[in-house]
Amino acid sequence: MGLSEKEECVLLDQKLLVFMDQLELLEEKRERLNSLIEQGWFSMSKARYSMGNKQVSALQYGSEMEPLVRVHTRTLESGEAEFQTKRRTLKSPEERQVEDIGPKDKEGVRRRVKTQEVPEIDQSDNKHPWTETEPAPSSKPEPNPQQDPLKWFGILVPQTLKQAQASFKQVVELSAEVATLQSAVLTTRQQLQMKQKSSSQNPDLTD
Amino acid sequence: MAGRGKLIAVIGDEDTCTGFLLGGIGELNKNRSPNFLVVEKETSIAEIEETFKSFLIRNDIGIILINQFIAEMIRHAIDQHMESIPAVLEIPSKEHPYDASKDSILRRAKGMFSAEDFR
Repeated sequence: MGLSEKEECVLLDQKLLVFMDQLELLEEKRERLNSLIEQGWFSMSKARYSMGNKQVSALQYGSEMEPLVRVHTRTLESGEAEFQTKRRTLKSPEERQVEDIGPKDKEGVRRRVKTQEVPEIDQSDNKHPWTETEPAPSSKPEPNPQQDPLKWFGILVPQTLKQAQASFKQVVELSAEVATLQSAVLTTRQQLQMKQKSSSQNPDLTD
Repeated sequence: MAGRGKLIAVIGDEDTCTGFLLGGIGELNKNRSPNFLVVEKETSIAEIEETFKSFLIRNDIGIILINQFIAEMIRHAIDQHMESIPAVLEIPSKEHPYDASKDSILRRAKGMFSAEDFR
């Protein structure tokens, strides 16, 4: 029985050390997270100073949004949860342009707008390609929910707003790590409590 | 960790929400409820609590980020949440820095230690 008592104590001590290490790591990640958030706010304030107070606010949010980053979760046997972010790459403007051109070609019908009187005069002079290539009303640009959120605030945004975005992107990645650590800390705590209860119920171990 | 992945939700003041939406977490369309709530002075505690609980019920949200001063308003609801998913992360706000002693998770983790444990 002596060996098992010692083994129990060693396991308990090891678990406690793991718990302390996890707490320390959690604290470090938290500090980094909080500092990045503050950095993001500072950059956003500087952008607001140069663009105007109302130019960086909820009024600029897109009417439709699609998330560009998602978090994948996994639950382990111990009950601990793991979180991992995955960011979607945005399509380049050229790729989007190619897609836009495709349907227009298929539609094929070129509409002449208000040119019925003109052809008699212009038959010998068909050098007005722009009348033939007027875009059909159905091809109005629709808001793209997948667009970079930076574009809500204008085409040319100050560098400080881009810096704010970069900070918050890092915060998002770090949030997943902090969430994983939180779950690990709580799971280790539960395991420690169970071991302590079982050792306190066994009078041999308390001697 | 296959599949489409879950969303990251945020309940915070305007600056916090703007920052995280810039980071690309936002979802907003006519078919689904948004995954963020901008808390203003006029926002009631009931609305905050209702939004938080709706995020907990949704199975497509993996992490909920919430300003700590807002978390204090609905502390009872946060303390009741024991599941590991979605994870609830308390973050600072501009006017209220982060206080580890108020964090539900850390209070639960540190609460295991008592004088008896060290005898």
